[in-house]
Amino acid sequence: MAETTGKAGKSKAPNATKRLRLGLGIMLTLLLVVGGKLFLVQGLDVGGMAEAALNSRMTSAILPAERGSILDSRGTVLANSVIRYNIVVDQRVNTKTDSYKRLEPQADGHDKLVDVTRDQAISELASALGMDTNAVRDAVTGAKPYYIVAKEVKPDVEDRISKLQVPGIVAEGVSKRVYPNGAVAGGVVGFLQDGTTGQAGIEQTQDDQLKGKDGKRLFEIGADGLRIPVGLDELTPPQNGKNVKLTLNSDLQYFAQQAIQSQADKLSAEWGVIIVMDAKTGNLLALADTNAPDPNNPGLVAAKDRGVRSVTAAYEPGSVEKMMTAAAVIDEGLASPLDHFTIPPTYTVDGQTFSDAFTHGTEERTLAGIIGYSMNTGTVMAGQRLSKEQRYDWLKKFGIGEAPDIGLPATASGILTPPDQWDGRQQYTVLFGQGVSQSTLQTVRAYQSIANNGVMLQPRLIDSYISPDGTEEKVPAQPSRQVVSENTAQQVQDILESAVTEGEIKDAGIDGYRVGAKTGTSESPCDDGKSGYCGYTASIVGMAPMDDPRFIVEVVLQRPKGSIYGITNGPVFRSVMSQTLRTYNVQPSTGEPARLPQYAK
Amino acid sequence: MSTAAVKNFPIVSGSSAADSRPAGEPGGGRKERTPLSVVQSAPRKRRAPFVVLCFAMLAAALIAVLVLNISVSTAQYQLVELRAKQSSLTKGNQDLTQQVQNFEAPQNLAAKATELGMVASTVKGQIDLSTLSVTGKATPAVKGAAAGAVIPSPAVAGQLIVPPAATDAGANKSATAADRSATAADAGKAAADAASANDAAKAAAAAQAAAAAAAVPAPELHGGSIPVPKQKVPGQ
Repeated sequence: MAETTGKAGKSKAPNATKRLRLGLGIMLTLLLVVGGKLFLVQGLDVGGMAEAALNSRMTSAILPAERGSILDSRGTVLANSVIRYNIVVDQRVNTKTDSYKRLEPQADGHDKLVDVTRDQAISELASALGMDTNAVRDAVTGAKPYYIVAKEVKPDVEDRISKLQVPGIVAEGVSKRVYPNGAVAGGVVGFLQDGTTGQAGIEQTQDDQLKGKDGKRLFEIGADGLRIPVGLDELTPPQNGKNVKLTLNSDLQYFAQQAIQSQADKLSAEWGVIIVMDAKTGNLLALADTNAPDPNNPGLVAAKDRGVRSVTAAYEPGSVEKMMTAAAVIDEGLASPLDHFTIPPTYTVDGQTFSDAFTHGTEERTLAGIIGYSMNTGTVMAGQRLSKEQRYDWLKKFGIGEAPDIGLPATASGILTPPDQWDGRQQYTVLFGQGVSQSTLQTVRAYQSIANNGVMLQPRLIDSYISPDGTEEKVPAQPSRQVVSENTAQQVQDILESAVTEGEIKDAGIDGYRVGAKTGTSESPCDDGKSGYCGYTASIVGMAPMDDPRFIVEVVLQRPKGSIYGITNGPVFRSVMSQTLRTYNVQPSTGEPARLPQYAK
Repeated sequence: MSTAAVKNFPIVSGSSAADSRPAGEPGGGRKERTPLSVVQSAPRKRRAPFVVLCFAMLAAALIAVLVLNISVSTAQYQLVELRAKQSSLTKGNQDLTQQVQNFEAPQNLAAKATELGMVASTVKGQIDLSTLSVTGKATPAVKGAAAGAVIPSPAVAGQLIVPPAATDAGANKSATAADRSATAADAGKAAADAASANDAAKAAAAAQAAAAAAAVPAPELHGGSIPVPKQKVPGQ
């Protein structure tokens, strides 16, 4: 460019430059202000606005864990949880809203905004809930922010109520425990208190496994109530509870419960119990009690009926203990099933006199006959060959005084006092089951060792745990122990079979199958603090088929009315055992049934 | 040189400049001056397309982000809708499963069978499939003695309660208990369910239970509202 000339140019240029510089300066200052404010707001966050905004967006929700189900051995559901709703009202909102608008779908497909009065809303709500209109009006009127109008409403009803859009009405999701089989296995399954914690039965002992762990969700929610997808979203998933699978067969459980209830009603007994056990595995197939509670409504039965008497009720077993005396003397080599005993009408030893349930003269009996006719005299004669310590040790070996661990609360261990505490009479009465107490499960466990060739397996009620993803972890079997030798077990089995074929218990026989059984009648100690005995406990325990025993059934009846000698549980045992053999398709017995002579030649 | 001045000079391109020289002229003593021609100015740098491209890219980026956000938000709405659908299907499934379980409950099956006139069989025979031999003597079932005790129906709220068939005195105790259980369950829940349910049988069961409730005797309250606790004295 040609060089500028003169002063005029000089004054013009600096002005322009000056203006430019001034403008630039102002802009830079503004930029600095903006930048500084940006730094303050974004960087330092003076005034905590980001945090405040985050707080109003951030919500945490608890994701409740689903409680596990309780199943029987074939997968039938005995207990599970379903979704229900509590209809809750904010009374302040509802009382002050006299009318509101809601969208109602019309016949032509469009939605129309309709005015609804409070009265109409209340009457519609009342008809949806099936409650009286005035009762609903009382419930929604007031000043409370939270009031439950209806509890445990089904989802389809809740859906209809939500469509009504009554102001202030909110549906809260809750979980409800239902027991589809009701009183069948009711005491074993147990029930909940306040719908959350187990209070009896398996619900109580397995509460930790069933409960699972609640999860938590931290997320940002917009004003329209929708989760902001690009915002923070932390999820701790809930761990649902595990399902508990029991060994029970609910059909057999029903059959046994119905059978014992009929028998107890017929004989006006205080209570009755039936246990069915699989001898090969120790699995409990049925634990039947009279007056079993329905966990849906446990308050209907008396508190004393809400447990499982099969495992909690300890009583003096009586003659069923004679099997253990016979097994002890045979295993110790002190007697054999066909040994000759001369039995007087009453037997006196050490100043103690013992007599039998039936009067007889002097009889020549075998050991099999003593057991087959349930003779106290003969049992004392044979059993006194054992020392006191041996009698104690053998009872302990058969599990008396040792509580079985099957996962039910208050399992009885029974009472077996040490031998040095036995008095002159008790040292002999323990041989025939008086002066010692045990539960029905302990008796069945002792007989199971005889049925299983001398090997005692601990009873099992909980078969496995099924985690929410479907993997099944079986509960390992507790250690087994050899109680008697296989030979002894076989001989005792023959004695028990002969009691049915030749002895007194002929009504326990089942067509087509070989059965072994032992009855028990014991005097029952009085309950309410009185001394002495009140009434009897009648029981029968047996196993089948005797070619290779698979099942053990025991039937117990406490204090039946009427003459105890006319009462027999044989038919009940027979029907439950037949049903068990039929359910599991057991082949009819082959081979000759054992018929040990009851009288010695 | 201004563009206006270009008009004054004929534009001669370089090649024609060479041709303007007579072809036959040998060498020529005088060096000819290269004819002047307007230098075509170099094509000005066209900034416009670049700027447009920049703006276009910016717009495209913004639109892409907007579209992405919209689609994610739409997907969120869809997700909520699908979750609601899943939830309602789960609840419907639970309800149906409960109905099935209610029918499968052993006591309900037994009661229904009794209603239909069925009896339990007591005799059976066996067929051995490997040897085709028949053992046992299977006879037709006959109506035997009274059915015995009746285990009450499960008192699940809102489910059909099959009224147990009370046959004899022994069964009456359990039957009353069953009716009471039906009443208690119904009284608490029928209010919530009876009117809303469209199952007529439920209402019938509720009515039956309500009628049976009248038969339940009132408890003996000894003139007060709460029974006095009974103290037990040993020996009495």
